[in-house]
Amino acid sequence: MASVRALRIGLCAALCVSAIACSGGGGTTAASGSSSGGVGGSSSSSGGTSSSSSSSSGGTSSSSSGAGTGNVAAVIIDQGPSNASVNTLFATVTVCVPGSTTSCQTIDHIQVDTGSYGLRILAPVLTLTLPVETVTSGNSLVECTQFVDGYSWGPVVSVDLQIAGETAHSVPMQVIGDPRFTNIPTACSSAGVTQEDTVATFGANGILGVGPFELDCGDCDTVTHGLYYACAATCSETTVPTTLQVANPVTHFPADNNGVIVVLPSVAAGGASNVSGSLIFGIDTQTNNASGTQTVLTVDQNAELLVNFNGQAFAQSFIDSGSNGIYFTDKSISTCVAPPNDPSSQIVNFYCPANTLTLPVSIQGLNGIMTNNLTFDVGNAETMLNNNFDAYPQLAGTVPAGNAGTFDYGLPFFFGRRVAVAVENDKTSVGTGPYIAF
Amino acid sequence: MPLFQSDALKRSEAVKRAALGVLFIAALGPRIASATLGEPEVTVQTDVVRAHASIKSSQDRANYRVHEIQLPSGTVMREFVAPNGNVFAVAWQGPTRPDLRQALGQYFDAYALAPRSKLADRRHVQIQQGDLVVQAGGHMRALSGRAYLLSAIPSGVNVGDLH
Repeated sequence: MASVRALRIGLCAALCVSAIACSGGGGTTAASGSSSGGVGGSSSSSGGTSSSSSSSSGGTSSSSSGAGTGNVAAVIIDQGPSNASVNTLFATVTVCVPGSTTSCQTIDHIQVDTGSYGLRILAPVLTLTLPVETVTSGNSLVECTQFVDGYSWGPVVSVDLQIAGETAHSVPMQVIGDPRFTNIPTACSSAGVTQEDTVATFGANGILGVGPFELDCGDCDTVTHGLYYACAATCSETTVPTTLQVANPVTHFPADNNGVIVVLPSVAAGGASNVSGSLIFGIDTQTNNASGTQTVLTVDQNAELLVNFNGQAFAQSFIDSGSNGIYFTDKSISTCVAPPNDPSSQIVNFYCPANTLTLPVSIQGLNGIMTNNLTFDVGNAETMLNNNFDAYPQLAGTVPAGNAGTFDYGLPFFFGRRVAVAVENDKTSVGTGPYIAF
Repeated sequence: MPLFQSDALKRSEAVKRAALGVLFIAALGPRIASATLGEPEVTVQTDVVRAHASIKSSQDRANYRVHEIQLPSGTVMREFVAPNGNVFAVAWQGPTRPDLRQALGQYFDAYALAPRSKLADRRHVQIQQGDLVVQAGGHMRALSGRAYLLSAIPSGVNVGDLH
C-alpha cells in the first residue's frame, strides 16, 4: 500500500491544476478527508496517458475539467459528497451549454456506473441553465428514472459534456430534482420508494452511466415503460425518439466512442481510502486502450451473463461498477448481526464469516467463453466497515431471495483489474459489443 | 380440465392452462388475479384493463394459485393467491417496475417509509416492515423483485418459490 500511496500522491501533485483542489493524499486509514476533495492522480496500474494523436479531435477547451487528459479521466473511490459512500467510484466532468465554451461548470463526484446508461446530475449542484428537450407536442421531456431502491424525476436537457480531453456535443442528459418540474406524476412515484433527488439521498453529485448499451431505454421510441413523460401543466407518458433518450455519452464522442476501460489498483484486504484509478475512453482506438489477451465475455440483452458458483448457475448475473459489493447467495456463510443499538440495521444482509473465505467462481459469457481459476474473497463486513475506509475488496452481501438467479459482482471485481466495457454493435479487435473483457 | 371460467380469462388470448397434473383446489374458486397485496382475488378485470395488461397464464400449484400478467412495458408480474382467496405475494421482472402503489395497496406506505440502508447502492432493496417483506434487485433495464406478507403465506409454501 505504501508504495501505491506514495505514487498516488506524486501523481496527484503532478496532475493537479488550479481549478481543482487535490485532496492532498490523505492517509489510507482515516475516512475524514474532505468530502469535496478533487480527483487525484491516475492509478499505478493504468495503461498510461494517451499520446492524444486522435483524441484531441473532440476537445474544444481540451482538458479544462482538470481531471485527466486525452482519453484518460482520473477516477477515485472516496466517501463522496454524502460522506457515507462505500465502494463508490467517482469522476469529474465539465458540462457546458451546447455550443458554448464559456458557459461551463466542472462538477466532481459523479459516480461512474457500468450498470446504467447516461449522464444525470443533481439539480442542487448544477448552476448552469441547460435547454430542456421537447417532444413533438412542444411539451418538455421529463424522465422518471427507476433505480432499484428509488426513482429520480427531472427533465432531459441537452449538454456538451467534457471529460478528460473528450467532448460529447448536445447529448441528452437528465437533471434530477429540477425545481422547474416538481409536479411528479403519481405513476412515477408509485413505481419507487425514495425519491433520490438530493445529493444526500443520491450519494453523489450525479451519475455517469457507461454500461454496454447506448440508451437508457432502447425501445422507448415505440413502447412506454413509465420512464418518459411529456410535461406542460400536467405530464403524460410519451414515446421518445432514440435521439432524445438519455444516452451513454461515450457513444457521442467523435472518437474513442466504442466503450470504456476501468483501471483500478489492488486494494488491501482490509480496505483503503481515496483509491485512485483511470477511466479510459475507447477500446483499440489508441495505444493506451489496446486489447490484449484478456477474457472477452459477451453479455445478453440485459447486459447479463452466467455465473457458476457453488454448483449452481446464476443466469441473471452482472459485473457492475455501480454495485458496492459482491452480492450472491450462499446460505452456509454467516450473515452479520444487527448491533443492539440499531436492531433494524441492514448490516444483516451482509456476510460476516469468522475468517476470510476464498471462494471459486466462474463467469461465462453469451459467447460461451468462461473464466479460468477465478476466486473472490469474502471478509467480515462488520469488522471491515468499522475501519471506516472507502474501498473494501471483500465486502459481500446476500442477494434478495426474489432475485435468486443473480450473482451481482460489483466494484470489488474491478480492483486490481483492467475491465473493458464494449458498447453494443461496436467492434474492437477482439469482438463486438456488448461485452465485458478483463 | 377447465379450471377457470371467468369472462376475463375466456377473452384472454394468452391463457395457458398449464396446470397439468396439479390438483385443483376448489377453495380457490373461479376468480382471477387482483393486483393488490393482502386483498381478495377480485377486481382482476379492472386492474388488467386499467394497466392495458393481459393474463399470460394461471396455474394452480400446491397450496396456492399464481397468475402471470404481461404488462405492456414488457414487465411480467406474478400474483400469488392463497386458498382463502387473498393475494399473499406479488413478484415482477422486466425493464421497469410495475405500479407498486397499486400492487402493494395498503402496504405501499410502509414500503415507501421504510428506513433506507446506509449501504444502499441503487441495486438492492431488502425491507421488512411488520408483516411486509419487499426484496428487489437488478440494474437499469432489468429490474426484479417481490413483496409478500409473512403471516399470509399458506402453510407448506416455500418462500423461495415466490418469484
